[in-house]
Amino acid sequence: MAEQSEYVTLVSYDGFEYILPRSAACISGTIRRMLDPSSKFSEALTGRCVLENMTGIVLEKVCEYFLYNEKHKDQTNVPDMEIPPELCLELLMAADYLDT
Amino acid sequence: MRKRSGRRTARNPIRGPHSALTDFLASNNISAAQIRDDYEQRLQTAQQQAEQEAAQQEEAEDAVEDSEYQPDSPEEQTKKRKRQQAIEKTKKSKEFARRKARRAGEPDDDDDALANEMVDEKQRPMNPGQLANCKICKKRFTVTPYSKTGPRGGLLCADCSKKQKAPGKKAPAKKRSSGIGRRQNQKTLLDGDVSNGAPSLLETCIKKVGDNIDNIEEFGDLPPQLMHRLSQILSRNRAVNSRTLELFLRPQYRSIDLYDCAKLDTDAFHKILASMPGLTRLNLRFVTPFKDAVFEYILDRDLKIQDLQLDSPNLVSNGCWRQLFIKLGPQLQTLKLWNLDWAFDDETAEIMSNNCTGLRRLKLKHLWNIGDAALKSISSLKSLEHLSLNLKQETTNEPLLQMISQLGPNLRTLSLEEFQQVDDQLLQNIHDNCHHLSKLRLTSNATITDKGLADLFRDWKNPPLTFVDFQKLRDVDTGNPAGPPDPIGLASDGFKALMEHSGSKLETLNIASCRHITHAAFEEVFSEKKRYPALKSLDISFQLAVDDYVAQCIVRCCPALTRLVVFGCFGIRDLHIHRGVALIGLVTAKVTVD
Repeated sequence: MAEQSEYVTLVSYDGFEYILPRSAACISGTIRRMLDPSSKFSEALTGRCVLENMTGIVLEKVCEYFLYNEKHKDQTNVPDMEIPPELCLELLMAADYLDT
Repeated sequence: MRKRSGRRTARNPIRGPHSALTDFLASNNISAAQIRDDYEQRLQTAQQQAEQEAAQQEEAEDAVEDSEYQPDSPEEQTKKRKRQQAIEKTKKSKEFARRKARRAGEPDDDDDALANEMVDEKQRPMNPGQLANCKICKKRFTVTPYSKTGPRGGLLCADCSKKQKAPGKKAPAKKRSSGIGRRQNQKTLLDGDVSNGAPSLLETCIKKVGDNIDNIEEFGDLPPQLMHRLSQILSRNRAVNSRTLELFLRPQYRSIDLYDCAKLDTDAFHKILASMPGLTRLNLRFVTPFKDAVFEYILDRDLKIQDLQLDSPNLVSNGCWRQLFIKLGPQLQTLKLWNLDWAFDDETAEIMSNNCTGLRRLKLKHLWNIGDAALKSISSLKSLEHLSLNLKQETTNEPLLQMISQLGPNLRTLSLEEFQQVDDQLLQNIHDNCHHLSKLRLTSNATITDKGLADLFRDWKNPPLTFVDFQKLRDVDTGNPAGPPDPIGLASDGFKALMEHSGSKLETLNIASCRHITHAAFEEVFSEKKRYPALKSLDISFQLAVDDYVAQCIVRCCPALTRLVVFGCFGIRDLHIHRGVALIGLVTAKVTVD
């Protein structure tokens, strides 16, 4: 695929879609490898990643983290991101899967 | 009875019945009649006042209606002028400046309001301790320095003061003392966390889980490395107890690491062993509650433990240690024990050496009851690859030399801490026998000479080391701080030889307190063309020869540096470091991060 869209779409298993900049999504090693054009994965061709193991709520928080990470790139003393306690275990699993 | 009545008649005449309270009040010179009179008088005055005020208000209202567009009366004008003067005066006072400084940053940062408030305070008619009627609820109360002025003058009681404050003003913003930020920064530095940007989501989540551990019932399907990280965080927070322990018990896992077991009891240890029958690695620290019964359980169940790491199991008896080694010895590959001051003597060490024939890694640190005899028996453990010893008893040189001769050829790492008697002969033995070392630690010794260390590294067949710790190899004589002419400990020659030999691969170097290394030696080792591409962690604490120039050379020569420890390097005043270096121990110097 010659030209890549600047945005990618992340889809949770219950159908919520989140559109965010490619650079932000690629903070996750897993998503970066999915979207790597040389891989010829369908995700790379369509720019659309379906994450079957995440609910919309968790994926929303993950996307929030991507943007938070990009915003605070190369800064020192970054404030911690707020994570609701009831979500932290699920988010932990998601983070482990996404390699972020 | 008669006696009593007789006494009464003698003292005072018979009166009607009266209570104990009246008696008490009378004895304290308080008269109920007077209190009642006062009360009535107060009521009366209050009533009169109310009537007067009502009359005045009516008059005032009439006056306002009359003179709606007329200027204030001359009396009021003087009043206003006086007040204005008072406000101006207050604004110039020191007290005002002080209060303003204290309030800086608060939302209602208004000079006039503050000055107004202070003038009100000054003109307050009552002194603390006096009684007054509240202007809002009319209740009588004691005036205190904290009593607030009401909206239309006068003082308010405690309850009304609170209500008065509530709507308009927000609670003052929480002030963080400046110390907390600095302490937090130092803490992250000591943790070696100097990465820029946001922390990884994984790390953030793990910390959050650690904070909320009390509300978590089940970890779910977490991979082992995450469990290990959680165990570290919980142990650091001292939150491992018999409840949180359950989260870590997984029958399918073969290892368990808990760094703080001080709150576990024998039942909890039994539970670990019972619910994880496939356990091969048992790593428990701070295990003071660990008793014979737990080892007996291991022996009964015939567990396949290969890797045993226990810190301070002081309630285990010698007999039990011996039984354990006889039974489990042949299958053990790693044994690490710390802080044993009661049991584990030379004889136990001998039984250990005779039975643990497959042992590859042995660490005995801060063991109080073993000495020369134990060193001799350890020498027979031919399969050892990693050896780490720190004994409390004084040992002689001979068994240690023998140990190096016998085990040396096979050793990959060697750590000998606080062997005070060791001399150059040991270094010669290491030079002759050890050819596969990657890590070498020799610390706290004042006998080894600089020449001995230089000889060790010159023409040594060992490949470059990756980890070297020579801290506190120096002469200790307060009368002669420069040391003898032939330097003792790690000094210039030894340091040069070390960097010549291992500089290319060295990742961690600790030369803290080796204070006989000269400025010239540092300059030579860290000269312009030298590069130490792998060096990540460097500790040069208490090196008085290090100044700004040398420190800058070090930073230039070690591009991979992530941690530089410089406690007590008073020569460093101004240092440029590159991003990603955790600089620990500088207090007053100016540090610039590029």
